[in-house]
Amino acid sequence: MESDTKGAYVLNNLAEVVERILSFLPTKALLRAACVCRLWRECARRLLRTQQSIAWVSALEPGPSDSHSLVRALAEELENVHVLPQTVLYLADAETFNGHGECRRQKRARKRNSKETAIALEKLLPTRCQVLGLVTPGIVVTPMGSSSNRPQEIEDGEAGFALLFPKIDGVKIHTFHFFKDLKNRVFDESEFTEAGLKNNPELRVVLLFVYNSWKPGANRFLQQIVNCLNEKSIILAGGHVESFTSLTFENNAEVRDSCGVVGLAFSGSQLQSATVLLDQDVIDERTVEAAMQRLKAANIPEHNSIGFMFACVGRGYQYYKNKKNLEADAFRKFFPNVPLFGFFGHGEIGCDRIVTGNFILRECNDIKDELLHGYTTVMTLIHLGSTKANQV
Amino acid sequence: MPLSEKNSVVFAYESLVHSTNVLLSLNDQRKQDLLCDVTILVEDQRFRAHRSVLAACSSYFLSRTVGQLTADLLITLPEEVTLKGFAPLLQFAYTAKLILNKDNVSEVCKCAKFLGVHNIEESCFQFLKFKFLDCKADQQECPRKKCCTSRCQKPNINIALVDDGDLEIDDEVEELLETEYITTHSTLNKGEKNAKVSPPLQDNTSQTCDPVYLEKDNVSDLFSLCPKYRKFQKAFGTDKVHTAEISSSVKDDQVKSATSIRQNESFNDAIQKAQECTAMQLVSKCEETPSEMEEEEEDVRKEEELKRESVSQSISYPVEKTDADSLPQNSSVAPHELYSASFLHAYEQYSSSNFTGMQTNVVAEKTETGTVVRNDKPVSENQDDSLLKSDLCAREDTSITSTSDRSSVEREVAEHLAKGFWSDIYNTETACQVHLSPAKECSEPVYSGKKSECPWLGISISESPEPCSQRTFTTLSSVNCPFISNLGSEVYSNSPEISSGDYIQEPQQEQCPYTCVIGLGEDSETDTEGDSESCSAREQECEVKLPFNAQRIISLSRNDFQSFLKMHKLTPEQLDCVHDIRRRSKNRIAAQRCRKRKLDCIQNLESEIEKLQNEKASLLKERDYILSTLGETKQNLTGLCQQVCKEAALSPEQIQILAKYSTLDCPLSLLIPERERMAPDTKPVIPLCIELPSGLSGAVSASEHSSCYPCVRGISDTSYNQMQELCPVSMKTSEKTLLVEQCGQGGGITDFCQQMTDKCTTDESVL
Repeated sequence: MESDTKGAYVLNNLAEVVERILSFLPTKALLRAACVCRLWRECARRLLRTQQSIAWVSALEPGPSDSHSLVRALAEELENVHVLPQTVLYLADAETFNGHGECRRQKRARKRNSKETAIALEKLLPTRCQVLGLVTPGIVVTPMGSSSNRPQEIEDGEAGFALLFPKIDGVKIHTFHFFKDLKNRVFDESEFTEAGLKNNPELRVVLLFVYNSWKPGANRFLQQIVNCLNEKSIILAGGHVESFTSLTFENNAEVRDSCGVVGLAFSGSQLQSATVLLDQDVIDERTVEAAMQRLKAANIPEHNSIGFMFACVGRGYQYYKNKKNLEADAFRKFFPNVPLFGFFGHGEIGCDRIVTGNFILRECNDIKDELLHGYTTVMTLIHLGSTKANQV
Repeated sequence: MPLSEKNSVVFAYESLVHSTNVLLSLNDQRKQDLLCDVTILVEDQRFRAHRSVLAACSSYFLSRTVGQLTADLLITLPEEVTLKGFAPLLQFAYTAKLILNKDNVSEVCKCAKFLGVHNIEESCFQFLKFKFLDCKADQQECPRKKCCTSRCQKPNINIALVDDGDLEIDDEVEELLETEYITTHSTLNKGEKNAKVSPPLQDNTSQTCDPVYLEKDNVSDLFSLCPKYRKFQKAFGTDKVHTAEISSSVKDDQVKSATSIRQNESFNDAIQKAQECTAMQLVSKCEETPSEMEEEEEDVRKEEELKRESVSQSISYPVEKTDADSLPQNSSVAPHELYSASFLHAYEQYSSSNFTGMQTNVVAEKTETGTVVRNDKPVSENQDDSLLKSDLCAREDTSITSTSDRSSVEREVAEHLAKGFWSDIYNTETACQVHLSPAKECSEPVYSGKKSECPWLGISISESPEPCSQRTFTTLSSVNCPFISNLGSEVYSNSPEISSGDYIQEPQQEQCPYTCVIGLGEDSETDTEGDSESCSAREQECEVKLPFNAQRIISLSRNDFQSFLKMHKLTPEQLDCVHDIRRRSKNRIAAQRCRKRKLDCIQNLESEIEKLQNEKASLLKERDYILSTLGETKQNLTGLCQQVCKEAALSPEQIQILAKYSTLDCPLSLLIPERERMAPDTKPVIPLCIELPSGLSGAVSASEHSSCYPCVRGISDTSYNQMQELCPVSMKTSEKTLLVEQCGQGGGITDFCQQMTDKCTTDESVL
């Protein structure tokens, strides 16, 4: 009895002890624990603020259940992550995400199914978090657990990942969405401002994902957007995806049928980023490693960083004479502790460029930088700032 | 809040553009040389700047400028700092922008380190180094080609080549004559020698009587050639001695014709005493110039005109080969003497037996023919080639009997040579024209033939003569003497060696780009032999005109490709061709990928179809199974019902009542139809009744429903429609039975059946 009262006393009064104990809890449990009493709530709040490192959930194996394996993985892993996601970027492979079994036959069924999956995913996430979901032909993903796991290029088969960005001090992450409006032919600059892409001196990185790019006029539309962004000294990277499935606060069905651009804009003075383009002349291990060396030479800090790889469906193992996972392995060779995510898409956006707080290195041709490519791979490294309070 | 406190509130105004603007105006000042107080000397170039700016940007300048009180400071940077590296850094100091490209990145990096420039991060250099690394690897392959192509654009090259070709022939012939066992080396060396000699010659021709110039060129050339000559000498020491003797003897004889001597020397003696030779030339020049200046010049001019108008002269000489070669050389310096000298040489060599006699003849001729030629030439200007030839031949015949035989043959050859030779060059070069103008017809086919073999030739006309000369040479040999034919084949076989030899010497002779062209031409031959197979005919044809390999065009990335094109300065046709090749290859690749994807897609679909068919088959099987079980259960049920009825021995009224109160799922309802079997139309009713329990007790999944209905149908042997029709009929007929109930049941059953059929049809359609 005595020990019980002692324990109760400690847990009710000593904030340090409580905080230490609570720090072992994953975020969801922490939030539940925050409901216990005022002291715990305060402790939980403090702890939540320190959780600023990115977490991710990845699904590589097709699951037994009828839902997408990413849904299952996310449902399981959200209980274990030490992060309160504020922005979530999830990608899933098109084939399995869009439907299972017989439903694939009918287009309507497929749409419904992908939407259902998307909704299932969104339901798992906190209501106030921004979700951007994409469906792509192939996935590049680092298995869960340690960031030094070997990233995998999964060109077909069920796979997916969800990147969970917590609220990071000094870094703002916005989602944005522009689509081609038939009524409104002139592109509205004010939308840019709204999305934080204009008049934002701290803007550093923009990840752009184009969907329905096969629609007529999509190219011109894309050019408009890319050119606007290209004039700035920011890192632009991304690619053409199959479709986008979720974007919180956007549930306009007709929008999905037109072409458009969704993306994430990272702004913050502490961000550092570099991107390299693996052009069509990068054809073997040596040249890929040369490109990685280049990225390495940009000297972006490796802790609290994530790598993105946007490759063409035409690359992958067929391009490298049946050597699988070549680009991802090359990345890992040079950045053993940086998780790599990405996809195989229908076209890439990016070029060789470095943007850090101190300097910007970009090509200055007479012609504007070529940003839109095909049969290439764009590798991007984003450093989210050196937050000292990071937890493992 | 007290008033005083309010007043003490401090505001801070901070301009965000100030620093940038200050820098901009400083840069303007620098450009206008306003307030600049320091001059920086880098590799002899001066830069004006502000020492405060420099000191602020660089620790090196800080240390250099601090404490310097002079009004205008001059800082000479050590040689570690290059102009290429410093200029961008100075610009960076004033604009915060560093312009880097692959040429200067390493030097800028070095200089930045040396000067301790602030705010430049090492990583950007690293990044760029890796970026340019692969480009460099590519470029290492073809520095030579590049320089060659760039040089190719000079018009002179044509001439050089022409000369080379001729000279080569000449020398080869000479050597053959001198030593019958000429090896490949000799030809090689000769070729090289010629190649090198040619530029000065060309210079001579172009600037007909400019002794100083000539000498300069010769000297330099000789020097540059020295190593080769030595090599040559080693290889053919004995032969050379011979030739040297010959030449010397000739020289002695032809004291007056210093130019010929010079040539002899340059070819033969140069090996042993290049410097002496040059001195000799000088002397000879000196001698010549005062004594024969006027005449010579006149002659030269005349001759040149002659040449332009009628190349026949050169051809007309029976010694064509040697003449043709020697002519450009000779003509440049002292035409008449040269001619005679060349005659001498040729004759001597041809008639090796009559060597001494030849010499005397030559001497005699020299004096005589020199004048004669002089006289003849102006005359011959207007005359036909044939006349000239005949004259000359005749003259030669007089001097040497043996030559007459040759002359006819050689004339053919000469014509052959002359027809096609380098019509393009005609205008540019006087000396060359001697050979050129008549030559067109013949060499053109040769040229075209060559073309197909070596694409490189297409770049410029200049290269074409090379193979042409060889070609003509071979024809010559076939006609004339066995040695030459040997030689010709050897030359061909050795072409790579030649090219390599030329290439080695390239650096030495920066003055004369021609040899590199030769090298290029021959390289191309060897290179393309391998490549040509892989290319389609059309590509090959295009490639013919390109200075580089089609593979390169294809393999380059877009940016590299553009810069590559810029580097090469191609004609519009070539550009088109290059773009065409690239586009086609890209298309090919894309098409391959596309095809592959399509095949994959088809395969996927096929497997899917297979899967679905399997599924369908299994479903059908399942349905059959369910049908059979259903039939069994139905039989059991009816059996049971009958049994129960029998045991209970119920009266029809009782059964009716029972049926009335029993629910639909009660099997008792079966009894009603059983009773009614007497009635004619009860048949359809039975299945309906049977169906009720099974359907209801099932309460069932869609599949069961679906299988249920056909089963019922099968048993009753009536179609659904019939059933529907019969239902009311049965009601009418069996008036004994409970009409109302039947109706209710029948209606329910029909509804149910309707539902099931709907489901079945939809399911089937889905399947």
